[in-house]
Amino acid sequence: MASVSNVTARIVEEAAKCGVKLVASLPDTWISELIEAFDKDRRFTHVPVNREESAIGLCSGAFFSGTGALALMGASGFMTCVYALTKINYTYQIPLLLLVTLRGGLGDRAKYHVSNGLYLKPLMDSISMPCTIVDSPEKVSVISTAYAHSRVISRPVVVGFTRGVLRGEQ
Amino acid sequence: MKLRECFEYIAGRWKSELVILSAGNCSEMWWEVTRDSERAFYLEASMSLASMFGAGIALGVPRTPVWVFSGDGAFCMNPGMLMVERQMNLPNLKHFLVSNRCYGSTYEARLPNASANDYASMARAMGIERVYRIDSLDALQRDFASAVAQPGHVFTVLEVEPVGKKLEEPPMDGPEMKYRFGRYIERMTGVRIFDGSLF
Repeated sequence: MASVSNVTARIVEEAAKCGVKLVASLPDTWISELIEAFDKDRRFTHVPVNREESAIGLCSGAFFSGTGALALMGASGFMTCVYALTKINYTYQIPLLLLVTLRGGLGDRAKYHVSNGLYLKPLMDSISMPCTIVDSPEKVSVISTAYAHSRVISRPVVVGFTRGVLRGEQ
Repeated sequence: MKLRECFEYIAGRWKSELVILSAGNCSEMWWEVTRDSERAFYLEASMSLASMFGAGIALGVPRTPVWVFSGDGAFCMNPGMLMVERQMNLPNLKHFLVSNRCYGSTYEARLPNASANDYASMARAMGIERVYRIDSLDALQRDFASAVAQPGHVFTVLEVEPVGKKLEEPPMDGPEMKYRFGRYIERMTGVRIFDGSLF
Protein backbone atom coordinates (compact mmCIF):
# COMPACT_ATOMS: atom_id res chain seq x y z
CA MET A 1 0.00 0.00 0.00
CA ALA A 2 1.34 3.43 -0.97
CA SER A 3 1.19 6.20 1.59
CA VAL A 4 -0.71 9.43 1.01
CA SER A 5 2.52 11.35 0.64
CA ASN A 6 3.85 8.84 -1.85
CA VAL A 7 0.74 9.04 -4.02
CA THR A 8 0.68 12.83 -3.70
CA ALA A 9 4.28 12.99 -4.90
CA ARG A 10 3.52 10.71 -7.83
CA ILE A 11 0.58 12.85 -8.94
CA VAL A 12 2.61 16.04 -8.67
CA GLU A 13 5.50 14.53 -10.65
CA GLU A 14 3.15 13.26 -13.32
CA ALA A 15 1.56 16.70 -13.68
CA ALA A 16 4.99 18.29 -14.01
CA LYS A 17 6.07 15.67 -16.53
CA CYS A 18 3.23 16.46 -18.91
CA GLY A 19 3.90 20.19 -18.82
CA VAL A 20 1.35 21.50 -16.36
CA LYS A 21 2.39 24.90 -14.98
CA LEU A 22 -0.90 26.23 -13.60
CA VAL A 23 -3.03 24.43 -11.02
CA ALA A 24 -6.39 25.89 -10.03
CA SER A 25 -8.05 24.22 -7.09
CA LEU A 26 -10.91 24.11 -4.68
CA PRO A 27 -10.52 21.74 -1.76
CA ASP A 28 -12.01 18.41 -0.84
CA THR A 29 -10.71 16.62 2.24
CA TRP A 30 -9.33 13.84 0.08
CA ILE A 31 -7.05 16.23 -1.81
CA SER A 32 -5.93 18.59 0.92
CA GLU A 33 -2.40 17.15 0.93
CA LEU A 34 -2.28 17.23 -2.86
CA ILE A 35 -3.32 20.88 -2.96
CA GLU A 36 -0.67 21.73 -0.40
CA ALA A 37 1.94 19.86 -2.43
CA PHE A 38 1.11 21.80 -5.59
CA ASP A 39 1.12 25.01 -3.59
CA LYS A 40 4.62 24.40 -2.24
CA ASP A 41 6.13 23.18 -5.50
CA ARG A 42 7.79 26.07 -7.34
CA ARG A 43 7.32 24.36 -10.70
CA PHE A 44 3.64 25.30 -10.48
CA THR A 45 1.59 28.43 -10.06
CA HIS A 46 -1.18 27.33 -7.73
CA VAL A 47 -4.32 29.46 -7.67
CA PRO A 48 -6.96 28.73 -5.05
CA VAL A 49 -10.24 29.83 -6.61
CA ASN A 50 -13.57 31.00 -5.22
CA ARG A 51 -15.65 28.36 -7.01
CA GLU A 52 -14.95 25.50 -9.36
CA GLU A 53 -16.30 27.30 -12.43
CA SER A 54 -13.60 29.92 -11.93
CA ALA A 55 -11.03 27.15 -12.26
CA ILE A 56 -12.57 26.19 -15.58
CA GLY A 57 -12.39 29.79 -16.81
CA LEU A 58 -8.85 30.31 -15.57
CA CYS A 59 -7.45 27.09 -17.02
CA SER A 60 -9.28 27.60 -20.32
CA GLY A 61 -7.75 31.03 -20.66
CA ALA A 62 -4.34 29.61 -19.83
CA PHE A 63 -4.63 27.43 -22.92
CA PHE A 64 -4.40 30.61 -25.02
CA SER A 65 -1.09 31.54 -23.47
CA GLY A 66 0.41 28.14 -24.12
CA THR A 67 0.35 27.37 -20.42
CA GLY A 68 -0.36 23.80 -19.38
CA ALA A 69 -3.07 23.78 -16.75
CA LEU A 70 -5.17 21.49 -14.64
CA ALA A 71 -8.23 22.01 -12.49
CA LEU A 72 -8.29 20.10 -9.21
CA MET A 73 -11.56 19.68 -7.35
CA GLY A 74 -13.95 17.43 -5.52
CA ALA A 75 -16.83 15.58 -7.09
CA SER A 76 -19.37 18.09 -5.73
CA GLY A 77 -17.46 20.91 -7.37
CA PHE A 78 -17.33 19.10 -10.67
CA MET A 79 -21.11 18.72 -10.53
CA THR A 80 -21.38 22.52 -10.53
CA CYS A 81 -19.22 22.90 -13.64
CA VAL A 82 -21.49 21.51 -16.33
CA TYR A 83 -22.40 24.97 -17.60
CA ALA A 84 -18.82 26.23 -17.78
CA LEU A 85 -17.46 23.04 -19.34
CA THR A 86 -20.14 22.65 -21.96
CA LYS A 87 -20.33 26.33 -22.83
CA ILE A 88 -16.64 27.23 -22.82
CA ASN A 89 -14.74 24.04 -23.50
CA TYR A 90 -17.23 22.34 -25.77
CA THR A 91 -18.27 25.44 -27.73
CA TYR A 92 -14.72 26.66 -28.39
CA GLN A 93 -13.10 23.21 -28.28
CA ILE A 94 -10.62 24.06 -25.56
CA PRO A 95 -8.76 21.16 -23.95
CA LEU A 96 -8.59 20.89 -20.19
CA LEU A 97 -7.38 18.32 -17.68
CA LEU A 98 -9.50 17.87 -14.56
CA LEU A 99 -8.48 15.85 -11.51
CA VAL A 100 -11.59 14.96 -9.54
CA THR A 101 -12.31 12.96 -6.39
CA LEU A 102 -14.75 10.09 -6.78
CA ARG A 103 -16.74 10.97 -3.69
CA GLY A 104 -19.66 8.78 -2.78
CA GLY A 105 -17.95 5.67 -4.10
CA LEU A 106 -17.19 2.49 -2.21
CA GLY A 107 -15.39 3.27 1.01
CA ASP A 108 -16.59 6.86 1.33
CA ARG A 109 -18.19 7.06 4.75
CA ALA A 110 -19.58 10.57 4.27
CA LYS A 111 -23.34 10.32 3.91
CA TYR A 112 -23.57 13.76 2.35
CA HIS A 113 -21.63 12.48 -0.66
CA VAL A 114 -24.12 9.73 -1.49
CA SER A 115 -25.52 11.82 -4.35
CA ASN A 116 -22.07 12.05 -5.92
CA GLY A 117 -21.79 8.29 -5.85
CA LEU A 118 -25.13 7.99 -7.56
CA TYR A 119 -24.88 10.76 -10.14
CA LEU A 120 -21.28 11.79 -10.86
CA LYS A 121 -20.52 9.13 -13.46
CA PRO A 122 -23.98 9.25 -15.10
CA LEU A 123 -23.61 13.02 -15.29
CA MET A 124 -20.23 12.71 -17.00
CA ASP A 125 -21.70 10.18 -19.40
CA SER A 126 -24.60 12.49 -20.15
CA ILE A 127 -22.23 15.18 -21.43
CA SER A 128 -19.91 12.65 -23.10
CA MET A 129 -17.07 13.60 -20.77
CA PRO A 130 -14.14 11.19 -21.07
CA CYS A 131 -13.17 9.93 -17.62
CA THR A 132 -10.49 7.52 -16.59
CA ILE A 133 -10.35 6.08 -13.08
CA VAL A 134 -7.23 5.88 -10.93
CA ASP A 135 -7.97 3.19 -8.36
CA SER A 136 -4.41 2.13 -7.66
CA PRO A 137 -1.17 4.13 -7.28
CA GLU A 138 0.28 2.37 -10.31
CA LYS A 139 -2.32 4.06 -12.51
CA VAL A 140 -1.25 7.61 -11.66
CA SER A 141 0.75 7.73 -14.89
CA VAL A 142 -2.53 7.94 -16.79
CA ILE A 143 -2.51 11.65 -15.96
CA SER A 144 -0.04 12.29 -18.78
CA THR A 145 -2.08 10.19 -21.17
CA ALA A 146 -5.25 12.04 -20.22
CA TYR A 147 -3.54 15.41 -20.64
CA ALA A 148 -2.36 14.49 -24.12
CA HIS A 149 -5.75 13.05 -24.98
CA SER A 150 -7.50 16.28 -24.05
CA ARG A 151 -5.23 18.09 -26.51
CA VAL A 152 -5.92 15.55 -29.23
CA ILE A 153 -9.69 15.70 -28.88
CA SER A 154 -9.76 19.44 -28.01
CA ARG A 155 -12.08 18.77 -25.11
CA PRO A 156 -11.80 18.27 -21.36
CA VAL A 157 -10.77 14.94 -19.90
CA VAL A 158 -11.38 13.90 -16.30
CA VAL A 159 -9.08 11.74 -14.19
CA GLY A 160 -11.08 10.46 -11.22
CA PHE A 161 -9.37 9.30 -8.03
CA THR A 162 -10.74 6.79 -5.54
CA ARG A 163 -10.54 7.27 -1.80
CA GLY A 164 -8.21 4.30 -1.53
CA VAL A 165 -5.62 5.96 -3.72
CA LEU A 166 -5.87 9.44 -2.26
CA ARG A 167 -6.08 8.36 1.37
CA GLY A 168 -3.67 5.44 1.17
CA GLU A 169 -6.33 2.94 2.18
CA GLN A 170 -5.97 0.28 -0.49
CA MET B 1 -22.78 57.31 -20.99
CA LYS B 2 -23.80 55.37 -24.07
CA LEU B 3 -22.11 52.01 -24.50
CA ARG B 4 -21.38 52.65 -28.15
CA GLU B 5 -19.61 55.94 -27.42
CA CYS B 6 -17.71 54.30 -24.59
CA PHE B 7 -16.51 51.40 -26.73
CA GLU B 8 -15.70 53.68 -29.68
CA TYR B 9 -13.45 55.72 -27.41
CA ILE B 10 -11.71 52.67 -25.96
CA ALA B 11 -11.41 50.90 -29.31
CA GLY B 12 -9.82 54.07 -30.69
CA ARG B 13 -7.01 53.62 -28.18
CA TRP B 14 -6.67 49.87 -28.70
CA LYS B 15 -3.12 48.86 -29.64
CA SER B 16 -1.56 45.50 -28.86
CA GLU B 17 -3.89 44.50 -26.04
CA LEU B 18 -5.78 41.21 -26.11
CA VAL B 19 -9.49 41.76 -25.47
CA ILE B 20 -11.88 39.33 -23.80
CA LEU B 21 -15.59 40.11 -23.90
CA SER B 22 -18.36 38.55 -21.86
CA ALA B 23 -21.64 37.41 -23.36
CA GLY B 24 -24.29 39.75 -24.62
CA ASN B 25 -23.93 43.51 -25.03
CA CYS B 26 -20.16 43.53 -24.39
CA SER B 27 -19.38 41.07 -27.16
CA GLU B 28 -21.97 42.38 -29.54
CA MET B 29 -21.15 46.07 -29.18
CA TRP B 30 -17.40 45.45 -29.45
CA TRP B 31 -18.07 43.49 -32.62
CA GLU B 32 -20.30 46.27 -33.98
CA VAL B 33 -17.67 48.90 -33.27
CA THR B 34 -14.49 47.04 -34.27
CA ARG B 35 -15.45 44.06 -36.53
CA ASP B 36 -12.29 42.47 -35.14
CA SER B 37 -11.97 38.71 -35.24
CA GLU B 38 -8.36 38.13 -34.20
CA ARG B 39 -7.36 40.27 -31.24
CA ALA B 40 -10.70 39.90 -29.45
CA PHE B 41 -12.23 36.76 -28.00
CA TYR B 42 -16.00 36.91 -27.75
CA LEU B 43 -16.88 34.65 -24.81
CA GLU B 44 -20.51 34.66 -25.87
CA ALA B 45 -21.08 31.10 -24.75
CA SER B 46 -20.54 31.68 -21.07
CA MET B 47 -21.38 34.22 -18.40
CA SER B 48 -19.33 35.26 -15.36
CA LEU B 49 -15.98 33.78 -16.33
CA ALA B 50 -14.52 36.36 -18.72
CA SER B 51 -12.11 37.81 -16.16
CA MET B 52 -10.93 34.36 -15.09
CA PHE B 53 -10.41 33.49 -18.75
CA GLY B 54 -8.47 36.72 -19.21
CA ALA B 55 -6.42 36.07 -16.09
CA GLY B 56 -5.39 32.68 -17.44
CA ILE B 57 -4.08 34.37 -20.56
CA ALA B 58 -2.46 37.28 -18.72
CA LEU B 59 -0.59 34.90 -16.46
CA GLY B 60 1.10 33.17 -19.38
CA VAL B 61 1.94 36.22 -21.51
CA PRO B 62 2.97 38.75 -18.86
CA ARG B 63 4.28 41.31 -21.35
CA THR B 64 0.97 41.48 -23.20
CA PRO B 65 -1.80 43.64 -21.73
CA VAL B 66 -5.16 41.91 -21.45
CA TRP B 67 -8.37 43.92 -21.34
CA VAL B 68 -11.47 42.12 -20.06
CA PHE B 69 -14.98 43.52 -20.43
CA SER B 70 -17.61 41.90 -18.21
CA GLY B 71 -21.26 42.80 -18.02
CA ASP B 72 -22.73 43.43 -14.60
CA GLY B 73 -25.23 40.64 -15.21
CA ALA B 74 -22.31 38.25 -15.47
CA PHE B 75 -20.55 39.90 -12.55
CA CYS B 76 -23.51 39.34 -10.24
CA MET B 77 -23.27 35.61 -10.91
CA ASN B 78 -19.68 35.42 -9.69
CA PRO B 79 -18.49 38.50 -7.78
CA GLY B 80 -15.96 36.28 -6.04
CA MET B 81 -13.94 36.50 -9.25
CA LEU B 82 -12.52 39.68 -7.73
CA MET B 83 -11.02 37.70 -4.86
CA VAL B 84 -9.12 35.53 -7.30
CA GLU B 85 -8.10 38.55 -9.39
CA ARG B 86 -6.81 40.35 -6.32
CA GLN B 87 -4.92 37.29 -5.18
CA MET B 88 -3.29 36.88 -8.59
CA ASN B 89 -2.69 40.63 -8.88
CA LEU B 90 -1.58 40.40 -12.50
CA PRO B 91 -0.02 43.67 -13.63
CA ASN B 92 -1.18 43.19 -17.23
CA LEU B 93 -4.84 42.50 -16.43
CA LYS B 94 -7.30 45.37 -16.80
CA HIS B 95 -10.87 44.45 -15.94
CA PHE B 96 -13.68 46.72 -17.13
CA LEU B 97 -17.12 46.12 -15.66
CA VAL B 98 -19.77 47.35 -18.08
CA SER B 99 -22.60 48.30 -15.75
CA ASN B 100 -25.94 48.86 -17.42
CA ARG B 101 -27.89 47.73 -14.35
CA CYS B 102 -29.84 45.07 -16.28
CA TYR B 103 -29.47 41.82 -18.19
CA GLY B 104 -28.80 43.70 -21.39
CA SER B 105 -28.90 40.86 -23.90
CA THR B 106 -32.16 39.42 -22.60
CA TYR B 107 -34.39 42.39 -23.33
CA GLU B 108 -32.98 44.27 -20.35
CA ALA B 109 -34.52 42.04 -17.75
CA ARG B 110 -34.19 43.28 -14.17
CA LEU B 111 -30.93 42.70 -12.32
CA PRO B 112 -31.23 41.96 -8.59
CA ASN B 113 -30.69 44.99 -6.40
CA ALA B 114 -29.70 46.88 -9.53
CA SER B 115 -29.78 50.47 -8.36
CA ALA B 116 -27.99 49.85 -5.07
CA ASN B 117 -25.12 47.67 -6.24
CA ASP B 118 -21.85 49.51 -5.69
CA TYR B 119 -19.37 47.52 -7.75
CA ALA B 120 -16.43 49.83 -7.13
CA SER B 121 -16.84 49.53 -3.37
CA MET B 122 -17.10 45.77 -3.67
CA ALA B 123 -13.78 45.73 -5.49
CA ARG B 124 -12.14 47.96 -2.89
CA ALA B 125 -13.54 45.78 -0.11
CA MET B 126 -11.77 42.82 -1.68
CA GLY B 127 -8.49 44.66 -1.56
CA ILE B 128 -8.16 45.83 -5.13
CA GLU B 129 -6.14 49.02 -4.93
CA ARG B 130 -6.72 50.64 -8.30
CA VAL B 131 -10.45 51.03 -8.83
CA TYR B 132 -12.11 53.55 -11.12
CA ARG B 133 -15.78 54.39 -11.54
CA ILE B 134 -16.49 56.18 -14.80
CA ASP B 135 -19.98 57.42 -15.57
CA SER B 136 -19.52 59.86 -18.43
CA LEU B 137 -17.56 60.21 -21.63
CA ASP B 138 -15.75 63.19 -20.12
CA ALA B 139 -14.65 61.06 -17.18
CA LEU B 140 -13.58 58.29 -19.53
CA GLN B 141 -11.47 60.71 -21.55
CA ARG B 142 -9.94 62.01 -18.33
CA ASP B 143 -9.25 58.69 -16.57
CA PHE B 144 -8.77 56.10 -19.30
CA ALA B 145 -5.06 56.63 -19.81
CA SER B 146 -4.23 56.33 -16.13
CA ALA B 147 -6.45 53.27 -15.82
CA VAL B 148 -4.69 51.33 -18.54
CA ALA B 149 -1.28 52.88 -19.11
CA GLN B 150 0.35 52.11 -15.77
CA PRO B 151 1.32 48.56 -14.88
CA GLY B 152 -0.89 46.97 -12.28
CA HIS B 153 -4.19 45.21 -11.97
CA VAL B 154 -7.06 47.65 -12.41
CA PHE B 155 -10.81 47.30 -12.00
CA THR B 156 -12.83 49.96 -13.80
CA VAL B 157 -16.59 50.29 -13.60
CA LEU B 158 -18.09 51.80 -16.75
CA GLU B 159 -21.59 53.08 -15.98
CA VAL B 160 -23.55 52.98 -19.23
CA GLU B 161 -27.14 53.22 -20.37
CA PRO B 162 -28.97 50.12 -21.54
CA VAL B 163 -28.56 49.74 -25.30
CA GLY B 164 -32.27 49.43 -25.92
CA LYS B 165 -32.09 47.00 -28.80
CA LYS B 166 -30.76 43.59 -29.71
CA LEU B 167 -27.34 43.73 -31.35
CA GLU B 168 -25.75 41.42 -33.90
CA GLU B 169 -23.78 38.53 -32.48
CA PRO B 170 -20.22 38.05 -33.75
CA PRO B 171 -20.73 35.59 -36.62
CA MET B 172 -17.93 33.13 -35.79
CA ASP B 173 -18.39 29.58 -34.54
CA GLY B 174 -16.41 28.58 -31.44
CA PRO B 175 -13.57 26.71 -33.16
CA GLU B 176 -13.09 29.49 -35.71
CA MET B 177 -12.75 31.99 -32.89
CA LYS B 178 -10.34 29.71 -31.07
CA TYR B 179 -8.01 29.42 -34.02
CA ARG B 180 -8.19 33.05 -35.12
CA PHE B 181 -7.46 34.31 -31.61
CA GLY B 182 -4.93 31.60 -30.79
CA ARG B 183 -2.98 32.03 -34.04
CA TYR B 184 -2.85 35.77 -33.43
CA ILE B 185 -1.39 35.22 -29.96
CA GLU B 186 1.12 32.75 -31.38
CA ARG B 187 2.26 35.31 -33.96
CA MET B 188 2.40 38.21 -31.56
CA THR B 189 3.95 36.56 -28.50
CA GLY B 190 5.81 33.57 -29.82
CA VAL B 191 4.09 31.12 -27.48
CA ARG B 192 2.98 27.78 -28.87
CA ILE B 193 -0.69 27.06 -28.34
CA PHE B 194 -1.55 24.50 -30.96
CA ASP B 195 1.16 21.96 -30.25
CA GLY B 196 1.75 19.90 -33.34
CA SER B 197 4.12 17.55 -31.55
CA LEU B 198 1.15 15.63 -30.15
CA PHE B 199 0.16 14.57 -33.62
